[in-house]
Formats: sequence, structure tokens, C-alpha cells
Amino acid sequence: MFRGTKKRFNTRDMPKKIRYGDYLGQVRVRQVALSYNQVTAYDAQHRRRPRLRPRDFYRLVAPYLSVRIIEQFRAVIPVALFLALFQGLALQSHVAGASGIAVGIGVVMLGLMLFMEGLKHGLMPFSENIGHLLPARSSLASVLAVAFILGVAATFAEPAIGALRAAGSLTDKDQAPLLYYLLNNNPEAVVYAVAGSVGLAVLVSMLRFMWGWNLKWLLLAVAGPCLALTGYMALDPRLSPIIGLAWDCGAITTGPVTVPVVLALGIGVSAAAGRENNTLDGFGIVTLASLFPPLAVMSLGLYLDTTGLPADLGGRAAVETSSSIVLDGITAALRAILPLTLLLWLVQRYSLREPIERRNLILYGITLCVLGMAAFNIGLAEGLNPLGAQVGDQLSSAFHPQDEAALYPYWLGLGLALLFALCLGFGATLAEPALNALGVTVQNLTDGALRKDTLVYAVAVGVGLGTVLGVVKIVFQMPLAWLLLPTYGVALLLTLFASEEYVNLAWDSAGVTTGPVTVPLVLAMGLGLGRAVDAQEGFGILAMASVGPVISVLVVSLWMRVREWFYRFDFGRTA
Amino acid sequence: MKTREGNEQLVVLTDAVLITCIVQRGEAEEAVQAARRAGAQGATIFYARGSGVRQKHLGILGVTVSAEKEVIYIVAASDQADRIFDKIFTAAKLDTPGMGMIYMTPLEKMATYVPHEIIKRFAQD
Repeated sequence: MFRGTKKRFNTRDMPKKIRYGDYLGQVRVRQVALSYNQVTAYDAQHRRRPRLRPRDFYRLVAPYLSVRIIEQFRAVIPVALFLALFQGLALQSHVAGASGIAVGIGVVMLGLMLFMEGLKHGLMPFSENIGHLLPARSSLASVLAVAFILGVAATFAEPAIGALRAAGSLTDKDQAPLLYYLLNNNPEAVVYAVAGSVGLAVLVSMLRFMWGWNLKWLLLAVAGPCLALTGYMALDPRLSPIIGLAWDCGAITTGPVTVPVVLALGIGVSAAAGRENNTLDGFGIVTLASLFPPLAVMSLGLYLDTTGLPADLGGRAAVETSSSIVLDGITAALRAILPLTLLLWLVQRYSLREPIERRNLILYGITLCVLGMAAFNIGLAEGLNPLGAQVGDQLSSAFHPQDEAALYPYWLGLGLALLFALCLGFGATLAEPALNALGVTVQNLTDGALRKDTLVYAVAVGVGLGTVLGVVKIVFQMPLAWLLLPTYGVALLLTLFASEEYVNLAWDSAGVTTGPVTVPLVLAMGLGLGRAVDAQEGFGILAMASVGPVISVLVVSLWMRVREWFYRFDFGRTA
Repeated sequence: MKTREGNEQLVVLTDAVLITCIVQRGEAEEAVQAARRAGAQGATIFYARGSGVRQKHLGILGVTVSAEKEVIYIVAASDQADRIFDKIFTAAKLDTPGMGMIYMTPLEKMATYVPHEIIKRFAQD
């Protein structure tokens, strides 16, 4: 720690002597001594908050804000810039309403920032606490009940669930009556099905934590029927349009509310279950939460198909646009956060009989959550959605065969569109805040064997390629099952060969990546593109974007294993 | 080290002072820089968690203060210690509530590598 001495303090060498202490006496700050006893006594008498100088306020608040703003800035700006540049350079058109979109994007960043901070201080301590205490104090049945209800409530709170409805506006009544019915006449049924299945997924995950089930076999047990059902539905022309919706639901639900809340609960429960190998515990919930919804929605479709649809589907349900987007955003946020909070509070108060600590802080966090989600909703409606939709609309002009004004020859234009999809998937994924957090965790957990960059890029490439497949599906109007079955089949096959921890990791990264930045952009682009090429429906891109990373991460893990094996072999020969 | 008689000899340094400073995670670097400029020769940084009463008294502003902390250890010569103390205090902005604290404790003795010529010069008897 202390190496050598520095010459300048060696006063012996100096010709003239000044005592160092005297010198210091001149330059140092004057100190006034005060007994700590006096301070504590004063504190005990006056429980007043310290009066802050403006300087103190600045020192406290400035670093706090800047770190968090920069984080969101890094997430959102590169993607937005990429979209705008692509539109300007490759599609040679201007971004319509650029200033409105810019403001919207700014509001999105603000919203994300507030929301994340609110989650950290408000909802997460709540659910972590419940996860810790509940298994110790209640019966298994009530733990499972709480897990189920929490999963359901978190899904209702998910902002992107609302986006499903907008997505339905594209559906053609005659070509896909069942899908049309689900989205326009009975959207609540879809939301209930999804929420219920997420609740079930959380419940199963809790059981898995408590009894130490292997995710690998659980996955095969769930994904197998899922694929079988998909295959069955693909054969029926009436049922097949639902497949896209069903699989996209899986990707949508694992969003910014569900993931942290449910993960916090899972971490608490798995810590309380006290298994020793807790390195990759907590993983796996997200995976199940994204596999159960497709199963549920497809089952719902089957059920409706057998009971028969009402003869008259009615006109297109008017898309509710109230006078003010701002008001919409705020009410949506309140509706999302408050029930969830109330539920957490009730469990804490009446099931655990635990007083709520630091009430102010939690109140602050929840307020931030509501504000953040409101801002996020507003910004989404004003910024990211229009931008994504514009690009999606115009993307087809690059290659559209019927369009006289096609900018490029067909194949070149199509290539350009696919390249765009690749970059969008890749960039939006790099921007997802949750992925970076996952990368850091993984690097720590694997002792650096899997570096953060390796994981992040593997996931991003996977999402990019998945997005390309999704666009191909929409442009050529392929049945989604043709793409889903082989890709998920490959993913399951790889899962069989990969080690348990990488299975956890790969499937979870798929759920995590389709987060608040990627989902609206990709969804908007898919719908815009679908509208432009007159597709039946614009679903399916998200589903492809979430299977991509599963495959890519599993491939990376297998490659690492092969390399390791090869090294060992090599060493064996030389040693 | 061997003396002329062949006995083990250990050079210990006296007049050393331990300065401990607790700041928020990520803030230590600045404080250490300031300490170095004031003559400190090294620093050890620990990661820690904790919160103090000043931080709790901030009310809602308390969220800006991270419970993740860094603890800086600096062993300094007693002549320099006060100056280093001042400089760290200013650099770490400890006059704002929640920013942390600093304290100084006398050390009975310390030992580390001391260059040969210095030992020859000072520790002959």
C-alpha cells in the first residue's frame, strides 16, 4: 500500500527549514471542535430535519438524476436515431411530425426513468418481503394462492396488454373471423386468459423453487403440448390465424411490471426454501410466464371454435380514443398500478400481519410508478408508436412489386427491408435495460465464464434474426406455424443437450429481451408492414423475436462446451 | 532483515494515523484523488452497506442517497494527516447530509516496505 517515500516530503534535503506543521497550520481549513455527545443530545431533543442549503439539494439530487437519465438516454436514443436515419436515407422520406415524435420519445425516457425508480422503491421491496416471509408464515396453499393472484394482477398492470387491442384493428373479418372476434368483440377474454396463465406460471415456478424441479424437463413438458397444439391449429384454416396472437401474447406479458415483481417474489421464495445451489435460482419464472399464455390463448380459441361464434360479428369496434391522450395515459397507469399495490398491501397487512416499514418511501415509489407509467403511455402513443408505424408503412415501399413508385428493385428492396429488421431487433435489444442487468448477473454467477458482452450480443443477434424471420412471415404471408414449429423444435432439441443453468439462462433472456423498448417498436413495425402488404394479420414477429435468443444463447453455450472439451483434449495431448 | 548479529529485525513506523472515510458507492475515487494530491501515498477501498441517521433524516430526499457505500482506508504520516483529512472532507462534500463521514485514529505502529537507504539513515541505533 505504501511504497517508497516521495522526495518532496523529505524536508532534510531542503536548504532552509520550515517545520511542516507550521506550513500546514497556514494552509489548512480551520477546525472547530465540537463534542459528539453534545450533537447526540441535541438530536435526541430536536427531531427536526436538517435545513438544506440549495447547494446540498443540488449535490444530492444532481448525481441521482443524471445517472438515471443517462441510463434511459442510452437505451432509447440510439434506436430512435436509427429509425429516423433509416427512414431519411434508405426510404427517402421525412419523419412526419418529427417534433411531436421527439417530444414523445423524451417523455418515454422520463417515464421509463420514473417507473424503474418507482419499482425499485415501491413495488419490489413489497414483493421481495412477501416472498421472504410468506413461506415461513403460511401454508403451502396460501403461498401458491398469493403467487397466482400476484401473477394475474401483474399481468393486468402490464402496459403492452392494451397494445393488443390496437393490433386487432388490422384483422380482416372475413379471412380470420375467430381472431377478429377475439380482438374486437371479446378482448377481455384474451386478457383474462393471459393473466390467468401467467398466474399459473408463477404458481408452478413457486412449486419448482420449493421442490427443486429441473427447468429442462418442465420446459419440455410445457413447450411440447404448446407446439403440438400449434401444429394442430395450423391444420385448421379457421384456427390458424390465432397462432400469431397467442405466441405474441407470451412475449408481451413478460414486460416491465411482471418481470421485476415476479422475480422479486421468486428470489424471496427460493431464498426461503433454502436450497444451496441458488446461483441461477430466480431464473425460469419468466420463461414459464411466456410459455403458458400461448397455451391459454390457443385453448381459448379452440373452446370458442367448438362453441361457435355469434353469427353477426358486428361492425368494427370503434377504437376508443378519448379526447385526451394525456388523460388516457394517466387512467391506464392508475388502473395498472393501484390494484397491484392494494393486493400487495393486503397480503402484507392481513396475511403476514407485518407492519409496513418506511411507509413514506414506498408511497414515494408507488407515486413514481404511476407517474412513470403515465408518462410512458403518453410517450408511447406520441413517440415510439408513430415512429415504428411510419417506418413499417414505408418499409414496403422499398420493394413493393405493385407499387410503381418502388424505390429499389424488388430483391434489393426486400434485402434492405430485412437488413432493417435485423438492425432494429439488434439495436432495440441492446437498448433494453433489463438485458444489461441480466448480463452483469450472469457474468458474476458463471465466474466470468460467460462474459456479459457475449451474452448481450448473442441475445441481440438472436432477436435480430428472429425479427427478420417475422418480417419474412408477414411479407410472404406465410403461416406462422411453419416458422414456429421448426424454430421452437430446434430450441427444444438444443435444450435437451444444454446444461441446466444455460437452459435457464437462454429461455429467460428470451423473455427479458422483449421489454418496454422492443415490444412497441417491433409491434408497430409489424402492423404497419402488414397493413402495407395487405396481410391477414400482423402478429408473429414478437414470437419469432423471442425464440431467436433462445437458440442463439443455447448455441453459444454448446459452443463454449465444445471449446472447453477441445481444450481439455488438447492439453491432454501436450501435457 | 538481518542485523550484524544475525537477529531478525523488523522496521516499524510510528507517528502513523489511520484516516477512514465512508462515502456512497462510486464516490471514493474522487476522495482518493484529493487525498493523493494532499500527499497520501495509497488507499484501500472496501465495499460496504449502511446508512446513518443524517441520511434517514433527509426524508424523501433520502432516496438519493445510496445505502451501498465505499469505505476508504488511508494510512498517513501524522504531519500530513490533518491536511489530507481536510482535503477529503471538501472533495467528498461531506458537509452535505447523507454524503458520509470521515474520522481519524492514531495508530500505535505500522509496518510495510521501507527503502533500504532510509532505514540506514534513520534506524541506526
